[in-house]
Amino acid sequence: MKVFLKSEDLKKLLEQFAGAGKLFAPVKKGGYSGWARVSSIDEVVLSGAQAVLQGEEVNTRKPAKVFVFPQSEVMFEFDGERAVEVTEVPEVVVFGLRPCDGRAMAFLERFFVENKPEDPLVRERREKATLIGVACNSPAESCFCTAVGGGPHEGKGLDVLLREVNGGFVGEAVTEKGEKVLAGFPAPSKEAEVEAEKRRQEAEGKMALRIDLKRLKEVLDKGFNSPVWERLTLECVNCGACTFLCPTCHCFDITDETVRGKKKRSRVWDSCQFTLYSQHASGHNPRLNPAGRYRNRVMDKFKYTVDMVGELSCVGCGRCVRVCPAGIDIRVAVAEILEGV
Amino acid sequence: MDKVARLRERAKELLEKQEVVGVLGYRASSRPGISQVAFITRPEEVDRLIFDSACSQNLANYLLKVKDKGKVAVVARGCDSRSIVVLLQEKQIEREKVYILGVGCEGVVVQGEKSVACRSCRYPNPVIYDEMVGEEVHFEPETVEDEFDRLTPDEWWEVLSAEVARCIRCYACRQVCPNCYCPVCFVDASMPALVGKTHNVSDNIVFHIMRALHMAGRCVECGACHRACPMGIDLMRFNRQVAKIVRERFGLVAGAKPDEMPALTIFKPDDPQEFIR
Repeated sequence: MKVFLKSEDLKKLLEQFAGAGKLFAPVKKGGYSGWARVSSIDEVVLSGAQAVLQGEEVNTRKPAKVFVFPQSEVMFEFDGERAVEVTEVPEVVVFGLRPCDGRAMAFLERFFVENKPEDPLVRERREKATLIGVACNSPAESCFCTAVGGGPHEGKGLDVLLREVNGGFVGEAVTEKGEKVLAGFPAPSKEAEVEAEKRRQEAEGKMALRIDLKRLKEVLDKGFNSPVWERLTLECVNCGACTFLCPTCHCFDITDETVRGKKKRSRVWDSCQFTLYSQHASGHNPRLNPAGRYRNRVMDKFKYTVDMVGELSCVGCGRCVRVCPAGIDIRVAVAEILEGV
Repeated sequence: MDKVARLRERAKELLEKQEVVGVLGYRASSRPGISQVAFITRPEEVDRLIFDSACSQNLANYLLKVKDKGKVAVVARGCDSRSIVVLLQEKQIEREKVYILGVGCEGVVVQGEKSVACRSCRYPNPVIYDEMVGEEVHFEPETVEDEFDRLTPDEWWEVLSAEVARCIRCYACRQVCPNCYCPVCFVDASMPALVGKTHNVSDNIVFHIMRALHMAGRCVECGACHRACPMGIDLMRFNRQVAKIVRERFGLVAGAKPDEMPALTIFKPDDPQEFIR
């Protein structure tokens, strides 16, 4: 189902969700953009080629995974005898996520929900979220979705994809939920569709990187003990910025706390870059070596999740490239691995 | 001869004469605005070395990673050299195993602006070195308003809470800091756990305040943590205040003088002990 939304139509549509207190969208927060509940649509930037965000930043600092897999959430409370589920999952409408984050949502669904046993919290959060993505017409220098099988106008993982053209948006429903959102809008004109296609090609043309994913997988299959890891690791400081801000990184730790007499079990994001991540209860740590931790991250993105659920877990959003305090670029690392493993 | 050419020449000589096993410096990254750390071990690789305003990391941090390989040459600005002094004072490295290639620094530039820490820098030139590469640098540091002086403790709390509310606990600040080298960080202690792991302001602020206190008299205000923070938290607010208290109370500046021990590692019999009432 394809429709055309004039810019005012989209504004009105979003205002309905905002009025109901359900709308989350990227807003400028200091030097970067972040997700926030939006009460007035004026907080969201809706004009120009960068339909969602202003400035150089092409995407939100935190990925949209926060809507299905928040940094910390209470799994249950314990009343002294039994576990009581307390987390109420609200209905949300997320506007302005990019196709890379959409693809990451598809990955998280595959990993947490389709891959049994399912994770009920992730399933419920995804069910109650309506994801309205906006196609990228101007990818950043650090973007490389096309190199890992995605695309700047791809709808995978979203409910609705909006593709900006002159005067409005070509809207495509990806799911039934999306069809409900777009119901009642007119079909797009031929010209609008042609323009959207042209913009897709232009956007794709801006991302030149190609990665031989098949060969990369083969190389990684054999590369566990390669010297390349030591060589790449000196610069890495083993912080968790890349993993926490990665839209597909899904590791968590479970922690018990008593807060004002209430006993809670929570899960919180964890990072394979931390020493504690692999620490055994005995005190033994099989992955004390920083190179091993760096290797784990690369292996996980391009090999382990492929082995586990048949999907890459790198969507090419470029966040790890943009935030790394050591200036490490996973695209360069991958090139070196292809050469050197 | 410009600074970078001279740096490469000296690195090459040191490696060729086998005076050092490697040279720790900077190289260009794939992206504008940030360099990467380079550990050059072969003379033919010295042309990768650069030094410019994109050199964001504090190399003393990396010195800890390579110190077991043998004698290492390290490129050091004022702040890096002060971190090296602190590491020497705390016996984490040995002076004879480090060859310091001193460089004057005009400040790190982030997104077109001089990094917050560098604007008020009083030590653009190394305080210790084996040789200077290029000329010393001199500029007038900007004065930063002492914001905490005009705030009540309650207002401080609000300011700091708002700042750390964005923290995602990725610990990039800790990981890039040369003086954060505890084998087990207090936030990682799990038996017993000292800091809650959930993501909330009270746990975040415990981490940041504890870290600031651990840094008292040791933080050289290089700003590496500030630049590393992916959430743009102004960590210099903490660092500046802690350094200021140490300067005013103890008359000490971290790492500024090699023979002057850090404030919290010494005791003076004539300490006024005015906090004991």
